[in-house]
Amino acid sequence: MSVDTTEPTAEAATKRRRFVIPERFFTLQSYVALIMVFLAAIVFSPRRGGEIVFLNSENLLNIVRAVSEIGILAIGMTFVILIAGIDLSVGAILGLAATGTASLLMVHDFGVAMTILIILTIGLAFGATQGYLSARLGIQAFIVTLAGLQVARGLARIWSGGQGIALAYGDGADVAPRAFSLLNSRTFNGTVPIPALIFAGVGVIALIVVRKTVFARHVYAIGGNERAARLSGIPVTRVKVTVFAISGLLAALAGIIHAGQLNQGSPNDGMGYELDAIAAVVIGGTSLMGGVGTVSGTLAGALLLGILNNILALNNIDSNVQLLIKGVIIVAAAGIQAFRSQQK
Amino acid sequence: MLVPLLQMRGIVKHFGGVHALRGVDLTVGAGEVHALLGENGAGKSTLMNVLSGVVRPDEGAIEIDGEPVAFATPADAQAAGVAMIHQELDLVPQATVTENLFLGREPRTRFRTLDRAAMRRHARELLDDIGIELSPSRTLSSLRVGEQQMVAIAKALSLEARILVMDEPTSALSDSEVERLFAILPRLRRRGVGVVFISHRMDEIAVVADRGTVMRDGRNAGTFVVAETAPAEVIRMMVGQPIEQLFPDREPPRDAVRLAVRGLTVAEHPGGGRTEPRDVDLEVRAGEVVGLAGLLGAGRTELLDALFGLAGHRLSGTVELDGAPVRLASPRDAIAAGIGYVPEDRRVSGLVMMESVAANIVLSALPTLARAGWRRASRERSAVAASIRDLHIKTASAESAVGTLSGGNQQKVVFARHLLREPRLLLLDDPTRGVDIGAKSEIYRLLARLAAGGMAVLVASSELPELLGICDRIAVLRGGRVVTVLDGRSATQEAILAAASLEQHTTVEGASTAARREASGRQG
Amino acid sequence: MSRSTRTLAALCGSALLFTAACGTESDVPESAGGDATPEEGAECAGADGEYLIGMSQANVAEPYRQQMDDDIEAAAAEVDQFEVVFADAAQDNAKQVADVENFLTQGIDLLIISPNEAAPLTAVVERAYNEGIPVIVLDRKIESDAYTQFIGADNTEIGRAAGEYVATELLPDGGTVAELKGLPGSTPAQERADGFREGIAANPGIEIVAEGVGDWLREKGQSQFEAILQANQDIDVVYAHNDPMAEGAYLAAQAAGRETEMRFIGIDALPIPSGGIKAVEEGRLSATFVYPTGGKEAIATAQQILVECADVEKEQILDTELITQENAAEVYARNATQ
Repeated sequence: MSVDTTEPTAEAATKRRRFVIPERFFTLQSYVALIMVFLAAIVFSPRRGGEIVFLNSENLLNIVRAVSEIGILAIGMTFVILIAGIDLSVGAILGLAATGTASLLMVHDFGVAMTILIILTIGLAFGATQGYLSARLGIQAFIVTLAGLQVARGLARIWSGGQGIALAYGDGADVAPRAFSLLNSRTFNGTVPIPALIFAGVGVIALIVVRKTVFARHVYAIGGNERAARLSGIPVTRVKVTVFAISGLLAALAGIIHAGQLNQGSPNDGMGYELDAIAAVVIGGTSLMGGVGTVSGTLAGALLLGILNNILALNNIDSNVQLLIKGVIIVAAAGIQAFRSQQK
Repeated sequence: MLVPLLQMRGIVKHFGGVHALRGVDLTVGAGEVHALLGENGAGKSTLMNVLSGVVRPDEGAIEIDGEPVAFATPADAQAAGVAMIHQELDLVPQATVTENLFLGREPRTRFRTLDRAAMRRHARELLDDIGIELSPSRTLSSLRVGEQQMVAIAKALSLEARILVMDEPTSALSDSEVERLFAILPRLRRRGVGVVFISHRMDEIAVVADRGTVMRDGRNAGTFVVAETAPAEVIRMMVGQPIEQLFPDREPPRDAVRLAVRGLTVAEHPGGGRTEPRDVDLEVRAGEVVGLAGLLGAGRTELLDALFGLAGHRLSGTVELDGAPVRLASPRDAIAAGIGYVPEDRRVSGLVMMESVAANIVLSALPTLARAGWRRASRERSAVAASIRDLHIKTASAESAVGTLSGGNQQKVVFARHLLREPRLLLLDDPTRGVDIGAKSEIYRLLARLAAGGMAVLVASSELPELLGICDRIAVLRGGRVVTVLDGRSATQEAILAAASLEQHTTVEGASTAARREASGRQG
Repeated sequence: MSRSTRTLAALCGSALLFTAACGTESDVPESAGGDATPEEGAECAGADGEYLIGMSQANVAEPYRQQMDDDIEAAAAEVDQFEVVFADAAQDNAKQVADVENFLTQGIDLLIISPNEAAPLTAVVERAYNEGIPVIVLDRKIESDAYTQFIGADNTEIGRAAGEYVATELLPDGGTVAELKGLPGSTPAQERADGFREGIAANPGIEIVAEGVGDWLREKGQSQFEAILQANQDIDVVYAHNDPMAEGAYLAAQAAGRETEMRFIGIDALPIPSGGIKAVEEGRLSATFVYPTGGKEAIATAQQILVECADVEKEQILDTELITQENAAEVYARNATQ
């Protein structure tokens, strides 16, 4: 499309060609979709004693809690996809982190702070290594992270002997410090789940990073035109490694939350989460070709998926049909993006 | 030559406001190899696109064997016997030579199955017929480029082609491949095929062509008989009269040497396909504009790339800026040292198309405009506004997508990006390619202004008038080496072209040249 | 306004229709007995109430668990007061937690859960139980006693029954056994192995000559047993921890032309066309042992709690049943739900 977004484009565009959609629509696509799904959820929500069950504050908070892990993964994934990469390892890193967290707390009797520090470092290092292999050695991110997925699962199985490690709380040896059980609790008079709060916090930080840092501009430039970025003096390798490191770090954070929420760390945790995260990013309007997309779109995409899961479950839609509906929505989101690039 | 095989008369073609062809004539006889010459943008490709039905002319007539023809599509032209051998060949790399020859018209047996025996037989005959020694069962991708070209020629002939257009057929070939290609031309002559041979290389034309037509600015600049015309004359026809007023007045350069390059050599990239700099010595003074001239593939871009750190650790030799040696392992190093680079293809190497004008302008300067990695919006805004004002970038707003700008204004965005870093040395690769005359003149004036301010400028260009118009000195490259450095005021296009190409004729000696002579000898 | 807006509208519209079509049908009924507190049984509405039961399944991709859901559905259809809603966690603990939360939001009157894993589901089950909702835990326990009844079968007992059957019926004079085990580390695999050894202990002539790991999967059982066949010339009985692995072993033996040399027994005996009962009926397996789903029993328990307002036992252990060619057709007819 040949019109910029700051002008009153809708009018100008429709005058020139009939079937031109203002670029603004596309940038707002995920929010529009989120609002539509939200309204639909209200309309089709079951009612109990006149109350709309969906709008029940506890239900809404449940939704945020339920998407918190996928949402955190999706934020990291957004940066990866913005540089035209992909990170298939996040679900496995989540599993590794959850297993590691449970093991450090229960078996090795580490404190909460130390455990979190170690696990986050592992995630960061794992992601950075993948980024280095991809950026420096030129192996496709798809391949590197596919291998990383296997490695992380393998490490998690070795670490725990293939078993899930259950968390029990108390004082002394062989139990986890009570402080860690906070992750499975709610704050503000027991209303707001802690994982939802962490998700919100990570989201806000990511929004600020995208708006305010040079790093984010470099990410967009690399995704948009890597050669031009290199010729503009952007440290391409360093930025790419950082992006994968962020993704690994956030996956580890999600893994810690996972262990806390479920009182267990198991090497099989987080199977297939990478695909949900990618779905949230795509629904959020980020292009798999890189260079185009927003973190806020991803947040909207993650919430959309969460609301969708919730309303389908509240209406007892068959779980197999739920999969179909999710598939249709992902294709629709991608289709709209394809239409957008054709229009250009 | 009673009735010419092909006659194009008064061909006119406009693209928007651009007059690509302003009444061109071209006559090719049966059994003739006819060279078509002209500088980039002279209209050769457009004329050939008209001939092959890709483009419909606004005016003019085409006759084949005296019969008027009009081509609406490439298929029409093909049916009339016109075949184009493209640079990027229209063949299937994974298929065998035989399969390619019969693609889409495979012989069948009685049972409608593929008649492989007949295919092999016919393929053999076709190749033998024009003297191509190749096994028809080899896959195309296993052949060298020249051999693939011959398969394309064989295919064209099997489709009853009478007129064969070869667009710079030797540009990607080795000497021995060129030799084999030239060896089949006499056979084509005997079959009465007319060949239009597009080339820049005078030595080749002298060997293979009977006559030639020179184009300039969409017009005929002359037609000549090869055997009776001196190469210098042909070059003069190509160049025409330079336009003076396009170029600004220049201030004389200063005395201080800004860039000093000594013994710069870049090791071959494993991928190959580039003409890397070899043992280059070069100086550019502060306030001086130095041009890099040379034929396609002479290594102009490669030299600029190397000076901008893109050759990385393959680079050897010394590069000094203002007397201090600089490390050039990456573009970051180069930028940090005060070097800016406006690359050849702004779409591929310059701009992030989906981003805004502002984002593209500040891309290099972001770290310097920011505080500890945190962007400062007001400083960015004022830097962008100043750039847009200084360089007269015509854009609806700073936030417009850069893809919406015209070519010249896009180019100015790339300029602005590097100027924000206030470089001491600016490298430019064909900075005016694909921009209109107005923007060209603006870019020349900008270069003059920058040089007057003390910046050193090194500009590569394939347009000789441009180099003559703006440069203090012009370095001519061939095969990655600087063969001569000419003074900008006294140099002529003829001198540059001679240095860039003509001498090659005398320097390349031995079997291959002898073979070409022999091939040309056979024609009579 | 334009084409793609319309496309989007249409898409959303159809998504809404979809939801609507399914939604209206399954609107949560007004549940009079919504506040049942089973511990006291005081406010039990009995036969006059209408009850919404939530069934949280770990993974319906496993045929056994699909059968469990089917059994529950079939049994609940017989009880007028019951409506059952199902959720499938697709093997994801976190999803199962959310499923239970959604049930609570919907205001279920009783929860049936077959947990994917114990520890991760404990907290949410406790929450439901503490809100006064009766909880029936199927097949796998949770890590606390905050439930109303556990219904399950004893894998050790089933293994022992299989061992005794081999010791007394198939190989009374002794012989060689190859064992195909389930996923290592899983409790059922361990218990079915231990029980089997106890069962054959009475007959010292029986020797386990080969052990393979089939991870519960038919294809894994096949490839593992191919290797065992190569290494062992003499095998009398193949004992697989479940029917699919036994079938896989049969296929491997058949490919080697040795399927008549030995006999195959499995566990689970699902009453479905691809299940073990049919395999016994059709002569591929010599025997299989029913691993009951507990679905029917869970609805019976729910009926006791909600409709009859009765107290129930904390644990209900289900018996297995030996399936041979004699009773296969009859048991299939009795257990099949569709």
